[in-house]
Amino acid sequence: MDKLKCLLATVFIALIAGLAFIYSGFYPMGADVPHNPLSYWALETLRERSIARAAAEIRVPADLNQAERLLAGGADYNDMCAGCHLQPGKQQSDFSLGLYPVPPNLTQAETDEEDATAEARIRFWIIKHGIKASGMPAWGPSHDDDRIWNMVAFLQRLPELSPEQYQILTARAESDTEQH
Amino acid sequence: MNKANLSLSLLCLSLSALLSLPAQAHDPKEHMKDGHKPNCAAMKDMDHSKMDMTDPLVQAMMRKCTQQMHAEHAAAGDIREEQGQRQKQEETEPQPQPEPEHKHKH
Ligand code: HEC
Repeated sequence: MDKLKCLLATVFIALIAGLAFIYSGFYPMGADVPHNPLSYWALETLRERSIARAAAEIRVPADLNQAERLLAGGADYNDMCAGCHLQPGKQQSDFSLGLYPVPPNLTQAETDEEDATAEARIRFWIIKHGIKASGMPAWGPSHDDDRIWNMVAFLQRLPELSPEQYQILTARAESDTEQH
Repeated sequence: MNKANLSLSLLCLSLSALLSLPAQAHDPKEHMKDGHKPNCAAMKDMDHSKMDMTDPLVQAMMRKCTQQMHAEHAAAGDIREEQGQRQKQEETEPQPQPEPEHKHKH
């Protein structure tokens, strides 16, 4: 019984201490102060686990690697994403320098070995739903699934593009119809 | 505060931070209209022997540049056409309606 009381007291004190800390205003809110290792771990694990679970059932179209999709996805990527996720020949932008969490440089090939299907699922989910408490917006409310898959298709080839190839693929020619 | 309490409060904190942050959404620099044409001259400098015509990426670039060529060939004609249309428009420009309510009368 004493042990239980002791445990309850500890939990209670911890809660009060947590609340006191929140109200104290001592938390560094600025994006220019990185998380401490514990919050970093907690947030990262929360994100990875949540997205892996949510994306597990998504069906990936078999025809991702198609000229049509690369062209549509490329133009959209250049318009909506390159400011944060960069493009071949561009190492940084205001967004890539200032946002925390830092937007990953999507022109660099992923180093961890993930199979392409799992990666496509996760990317589709992230683009559609965004990521809370980060700069990554949800594009689902304004773009249909097919358009998002086009961007996923483009992302698969983006790391191999030279700046010239990127320019040709993503330029909106005058003849193109503006979709927005 | 001992260590365990500190970590607990930090965990509380990160969780509550997560719950309270959806209001942070901001306007991305989206839809920046990029008026650049594809720079197809650069294609000429690429090593054509290494280009695999079955690769969708190569097909995509070819398609873009063929479109661009067509657009440029048609450009002169387009300008003439546009000017013609503008003249016609000016000629048939309707007079501004004095009262908006009567717009649908005729
Ligand atoms: C305002 C900046 C911003 C814009 C614009 C933006 N993103 Fe993001 N994106 C982020 C940030 C920040 C993250 C990282 C979030 C995190 O780590 O929690 C991210 C993460 C991602 C990821 C996950 C990458 C990984 O390997 O974990 C993908 C994929 C992605 N974005 C795609 C896109 C696409 C496609 C677009 C355009 C439609 C886009 N983003 C537009 C900021 C942005």
